[in-house]
Amino acid sequence: MPKSLNDQQCEPSPKPFVYSEIVKEHFLNPRNFLMGDESKYQRDAEGTVGNPVCGDQMTMYLQIEDDKIRDVRWKTYGCASAIASTSALSELIKGKTLDEALKIGPKEITEFLGGLPEHKFHCSVLGHEALAEAINNYRSKLQK
Amino acid sequence: MTAKKQIYLDYAAGAPLDPEVKAQMERISEGLVSGEFANPSALYAAGQRSRELIDAARTEVALLINAQPSEIIFTSGGTESNNTVIQAFARQVIWTTPIEHPSILEPLRKFARQKSRFVPVDAEGRVSPKNFYRDPNPKYCPSLVSVMLANNEIGTIEPVREVSMKCRSPKYKTLIHTDVTQAIGKIPVDVNELKVDLLSFSAHKIGGPAGIGVLYVRKNAHVRPLLSGGNQERGRRAGTENVMLIAGLAKAAKLARARLVDWGKVAEFRDELRSGILKEIPHVILNSPKEGCLPNILNVSFEAIEGEALQLMLDEVGIAVSTGSACASSKLEPSHVIMATRNNAEIAHGSVRFSLGLDTTAEDIQYVMEVLPGIVKKLRDMSTVKVGKYA
Repeated sequence: MPKSLNDQQCEPSPKPFVYSEIVKEHFLNPRNFLMGDESKYQRDAEGTVGNPVCGDQMTMYLQIEDDKIRDVRWKTYGCASAIASTSALSELIKGKTLDEALKIGPKEITEFLGGLPEHKFHCSVLGHEALAEAINNYRSKLQK
Repeated sequence: MTAKKQIYLDYAAGAPLDPEVKAQMERISEGLVSGEFANPSALYAAGQRSRELIDAARTEVALLINAQPSEIIFTSGGTESNNTVIQAFARQVIWTTPIEHPSILEPLRKFARQKSRFVPVDAEGRVSPKNFYRDPNPKYCPSLVSVMLANNEIGTIEPVREVSMKCRSPKYKTLIHTDVTQAIGKIPVDVNELKVDLLSFSAHKIGGPAGIGVLYVRKNAHVRPLLSGGNQERGRRAGTENVMLIAGLAKAAKLARARLVDWGKVAEFRDELRSGILKEIPHVILNSPKEGCLPNILNVSFEAIEGEALQLMLDEVGIAVSTGSACASSKLEPSHVIMATRNNAEIAHGSVRFSLGLDTTAEDIQYVMEVLPGIVKKLRDMSTVKVGKYA
């Protein structure tokens, strides 16, 4: 609020935020993101989707052991909901088998976040796609 | 909750309502309750008191742009003024720029798409007067040329006077329109100096209320009304006048005229912010020109960062700015202004506009520079995109 409005007799209201509290929490304190140089992180698979020209891009890095996701890191270029979606997904898939992880789709991510504005739903789709891409890459690497 | 700093740097979106304007409108609204003021079309005393207020307001507003009172039409805002102008030239030849406000561009696409022409802007967002000319074939000669005086996103001041001098011709009667919504109150605006026939602005950028604006129509120029069904505004804009908002606009206009000299200080703060950002933060693209820019606007793009994320992180530490990122718009399209100047969606997504006001202090700028570098670094650490591509 502009400071010159502070002295008006408006009732103090809770701070408005276009996103849910959970989205805000994950955006401001993202979990599992890969800090700095990604080449230092040992991983078994990675997958990238999106394009900076469109406004968002995500990469998922997975450590996989016995077909289970032992650890996950990510990087995201994008808006608050893109960052929060990737952060949420990283929490949801840790410790899951690859098949279980693949079942976590946009709907589950959005629900976990307490909803996303309608025009931001695609951000949760991208997170799911980045994960699927990483798992696909891993599986095709195994087959070789 | 602990008290947190609140720094408003989005004055270009709207200035806070000025307390003097508020007081003036309260006085009028009390008069509307008590019956002191009535419908200004009425002949009894209360109606005539309203009429007098409106006449005085018209004079005050005319002074701000060096016009005659009879040339001022009150509208509901800049959007209505711009729409009125464009629809009046439906299916005719209109020349404009690609960086106009949507209230020019949208009606233009609707009413005059086929024959209109967008005169390109350079990387700083400026049109070149030499790209405006009188086509020898009257069929292609514009009936209307509309060029904003200053761009709302990047602050670039356009050579409106020079464009007008290139386009004016006694033979073809091209009318020149300028949208001064962002420029008014910050730089001198004089309809004769600018040589314009039509001009639009709104009150809420200069400390007035939203919902009221101005369309200036030069004497002898005629613009088909957008609203009909009443003889208000001498038949040029139907609808009962909102005495309270008109009085608020007049007060804001008077204050704006007196405060024109104060913007030099604001430009100094803006320059401090610019040099601070360029010094402390690598890989920054300057979208606003260093010369020929409004005193209060600084638009920059941070590489590898999406503007909405930056906007919300700044909001979290109490700083309000705006962004040209697609993610921040409900249409999910990047800023048409940055797309026109840079033709690059990544730069548009990473653009942030800081717009200062007369209340901005040196401490505000210092605080921004305390928190901004860390936030930029955090988002870049998180980003898939590498810096160094553009700057």
